Amino acid sequence: MPGSLVGEWDEQHASHKGCELANLDHPDNEENMTLTAILFSTLALVAITMVATRVMGRNAGWIAAAGLGALAFGVGNRLPEILDGAGSTLGLGIVKETQPWIPSLDVALGLRLDGLSALFLIIVLGIGALVMAYSARYMSSRNVHPHTGYFAWMLLFAFAMTGLVLADDLILLFVFWELTTLCSFFLINRSGDRAGAPAVRTLLVTALGGLSLLFAVVLIVLRTGTTVVSEALASAVWAEDPGFSAGIAVLVALAAMTKSAQFPFHMWLPDAMVAPTPVSAYLHAAAMVKAGIYLLMLFSPALGGTLVWQTILISTGLITAVMGAVFAMRRFDLKEIMAYSTISQLGLIVALIGIGTPAALATAALYTLAHALFKASLFMVVGIVDRQAGTRDIRLLRGLWRSMPVTFATTLLAGLSMAGVFPMLGFVSKEYLLGQMLGAGGSPLVGGVLTGIVVFASATTFAYTGRILWGAFFDYRGTNREPKDSDLHRLNKNIQEARPLFVASALLPALMGLALGPAIAVLHPLMGAAGSAAAGESYSASFAIFGGFTRELALSLTIIGLGLFAISQRRRLDTFFEGRILSFSAIDVVEGIRTRAIALGARVGNTTRSDAPARHLAAPWIIMGLVAIAAVVTTPAAVSRVGTGEPWTDALWLLLIAATVIPAVITRSRIIALILVGAAGFVVALWFFVLGAIDVGLTQLLVELLTVVALVLILRRLPSVFHPVARARQIASAAVAIGVGVVATAVTFAFTGRRDMSPVGQYFLDEAYEDTGGTNVVNTILVDYRALDTFGELTVIAVAGIVLIGILRSRPMLAERTSNFAAWANTALARTADNTLPIRMVARWAAPVIILLSFHLFWRGHYEAGGGFIAALVGATGFALAYLGAPADRGAPVAWPYRGLLSAGVIVAVLSGVWGYAVGSFLKPVRFDIPLPWGGDYGFTSAMVFDLGVYLAVLAIIIAVINELGGVRQRVGQPSSQAGPVLVAQSVPPTEPALQSVAQFVETPPKGGS
Amino acid sequence: MSLALSIGLLAAAGVFLVLQRGMIRIILGFVLLTHAVNLLIIAAGGVARRDAPFIGGDTSMAADPLPQAFVLTAIVIAFAITVVLATLAVVGRGDDDTEAEPSHEASDDGENVKDKTGGLT
Repeated sequence: MPGSLVGEWDEQHASHKGCELANLDHPDNEENMTLTAILFSTLALVAITMVATRVMGRNAGWIAAAGLGALAFGVGNRLPEILDGAGSTLGLGIVKETQPWIPSLDVALGLRLDGLSALFLIIVLGIGALVMAYSARYMSSRNVHPHTGYFAWMLLFAFAMTGLVLADDLILLFVFWELTTLCSFFLINRSGDRAGAPAVRTLLVTALGGLSLLFAVVLIVLRTGTTVVSEALASAVWAEDPGFSAGIAVLVALAAMTKSAQFPFHMWLPDAMVAPTPVSAYLHAAAMVKAGIYLLMLFSPALGGTLVWQTILISTGLITAVMGAVFAMRRFDLKEIMAYSTISQLGLIVALIGIGTPAALATAALYTLAHALFKASLFMVVGIVDRQAGTRDIRLLRGLWRSMPVTFATTLLAGLSMAGVFPMLGFVSKEYLLGQMLGAGGSPLVGGVLTGIVVFASATTFAYTGRILWGAFFDYRGTNREPKDSDLHRLNKNIQEARPLFVASALLPALMGLALGPAIAVLHPLMGAAGSAAAGESYSASFAIFGGFTRELALSLTIIGLGLFAISQRRRLDTFFEGRILSFSAIDVVEGIRTRAIALGARVGNTTRSDAPARHLAAPWIIMGLVAIAAVVTTPAAVSRVGTGEPWTDALWLLLIAATVIPAVITRSRIIALILVGAAGFVVALWFFVLGAIDVGLTQLLVELLTVVALVLILRRLPSVFHPVARARQIASAAVAIGVGVVATAVTFAFTGRRDMSPVGQYFLDEAYEDTGGTNVVNTILVDYRALDTFGELTVIAVAGIVLIGILRSRPMLAERTSNFAAWANTALARTADNTLPIRMVARWAAPVIILLSFHLFWRGHYEAGGGFIAALVGATGFALAYLGAPADRGAPVAWPYRGLLSAGVIVAVLSGVWGYAVGSFLKPVRFDIPLPWGGDYGFTSAMVFDLGVYLAVLAIIIAVINELGGVRQRVGQPSSQAGPVLVAQSVPPTEPALQSVAQFVETPPKGGS
Repeated sequence: MSLALSIGLLAAAGVFLVLQRGMIRIILGFVLLTHAVNLLIIAAGGVARRDAPFIGGDTSMAADPLPQAFVLTAIVIAFAITVVLATLAVVGRGDDDTEAEPSHEASDDGENVKDKTGGLT
């Protein structure tokens, strides 16, 4: 608690040791808490309090308060180290700790405690403790359930703030910065039905600042080469490159302005007033908005003094100060007045940081502390008034000073500090604020203008402080508008003073504001250290509550006089402020941007929102073509080609390709196009063979065969010719196609064949046998070296099989279009059973051979051409043969349990992987020799088990294709749900006249037509 | 150069087909594009060395095995994708048309379709 702050100083003065870097002389781990411990204790407190809420409801707030208070005390214990670095270069003590976090990116969990972070940490933890204690009485004692979330988010907020002010790593800083954004979003969002829109607006505005900070962080890391905050800020880059510094200054200022609700990003703060009062108290006094102030002070050593930084901060700060104060004069809800007050006060602090001298920064630190104390107190008072009186409207409240004297006294103390009245802490900070403004800019004119603005803002502050006091505790009567009866009902009848424990949390910071004014000297070391850290040079602060009859004192008296005058004229002022200043509010602007951004996104998205695949398919090829052109053009002339020309036979393969694909694109007939594309596939297989890719060629050949089979199965259900396409589109497609073809040729010619064997390829050739025991290098790559990749492929196959089955289970296939069957009824063509006899005879003999061949290819795959893929594809041709030989689809003897086989493939592969895991890593092959009965050994490897998985999966998907697309499934599946008579295949003996199977086609009405 | 031209031809034909109407031509175009890309991957390994990469004999002229392994995987995955596309081609309404055509009602009747499109072949 801040109470501990006062107690620390004596001890600190007693322990002057004059060590160079404090952490060298003070072992962190013995008596004092390490920074890491402090950080993670706040996180642990989240969990503890969540559990405690379940048991003791709102009283869990006491536990949270005690925890945060203890941590604040722990920080206080470390203060002597910080305040005492007499011998170090800057005269600063700094405690640093680093734990590795993401070493590969050079990102560490680096924490640092210096004067600046110590000040903010004490504010975060101390005010946090007070707010938690306050919450223990503010929250309702019934309806306990939502409290868990409330305390969790509040404490997570405390954790985020602790991490933010301790972070010595830019990435870490950004992460905690965003965490505060998220915490504020969730805290606002969970406060009722009307909280959604304000929460989203808050998120949008603050996330914008987060992006800005991310840009800044990335640029700084790239430029300075380090992620450590203190090193990056000490880099020489800042002085050497003014453009870089200016850019970062803009980004950091933008981030801080969104967080600290500075003009023009101020709207979210009043908007966020929907959150419960303790949330507001914490956000305004210690957490959210103070994060922005901390960021500005943190970057001051590097950016302070640059013109951009000064211009942005001083101008927005003073604009915000005046604007916030004036807006506070227009509000009647105490909480809204407070919100605008916060905006205004933070504006003054931002302007101070903009001035950037060590004295100004120390004053900013002092002002931050003073503001934290009086604003925490004031917000808690508002909550108390709200709870006890039932309303926060100053037009309704009256005479509370009689019934709530302690609350009134608290408000008076905190209010006087805010208004800057002697002898409060706020008075001292305002005096020095005025002093800094008078001396700013080097010329009396600039100083005079700045001072004039501050005087106006401060006088308005005085006036709205009076408004708060009069409005809440006396009879305001500022406005002519009489409250309606219905409003008056909201006012409680018997207003009583709040319980002592409730008021205590509010009274304590107010009293500290009173005590620290006269006792300002105890703050000198901490403020000096904070100012030094922010300025990057040694500075020892000395504030005095009475510095003689100075200009500042005269200005303070002027402010009080003007403020009193404004209070006396409140009725007139209210009338004056009644009209709107602008016709729109900042909220309207943010909402407008948001809805228009969504509309713009929809418009952009609509250009691609088309069902026609051609539009989607053209784009990637055109873009890839352009990229390839750029590559060919920009790459300097490549080295000459390796090898001595190409054999003349290559031209033959080219001719064959041309002879197949050119007619394939011209023809209108589906079946001809399919045959030609299949033929092109065979030529491609030839290409593979002549290029030395035997396994690839075999696979290509078999896959092409099965692709044709699968497509023939579906062609039966489609029209025999393609859809007509307009000529213009033909020409456009041809243009794109020819362009892509030319580019593809150019790229292939320019970028391939210009080097010898790749090193990795050479490694495989040299070491594959040694590593795996296999001699078929391609197969060893598939099942040994890159087995995980192959495993992924296997999974893709299994998933494709499942997709295929799933689609056909949920939608019927189109009906077959075998037209004019009846016309064939009396011809030989109709006798399908007889017609397929030759194939069946062949299949009867071929089947065992195919099975044996398949096994053989599988078995030898590791050593010679073959392997799981090829073996399975060969096996699958056996199924294709059996299917073709069947007299009717539904009688085809291929109804194997392909779903089981698909899963079995994956399972077998996983098992072989787990086996490998037992000896090293997933999919690592296990090898041993099996003695053969006829002498010698068979070199067994578990890679073969993996290959078996591949075999099963590939086989299964082909069986699935034949069964599903071939209509075999209808034999077993859904006989009752099918429309029309369906003949059961078993009842059709193979020798039965084939007309019966023709009858199936005739009797089964087409499905799926429109 | 022949290989480069083959790749160009396959790519051009593939792109032309995928820009046409109807699922089957898109599938066939996809198949041709697969061929083009697979050949390109093999070409990346170099075309001067053309012996099969088996250990045991002379490997001084053996082709680069790594692209071959990539392509082997790619072929089978392409087959799986082709199969899924083929399935999608026959579960629509009427036929495998991929574009809405206001004046032309999709028809199940084979003869009708023939009549309407026959003149255009």
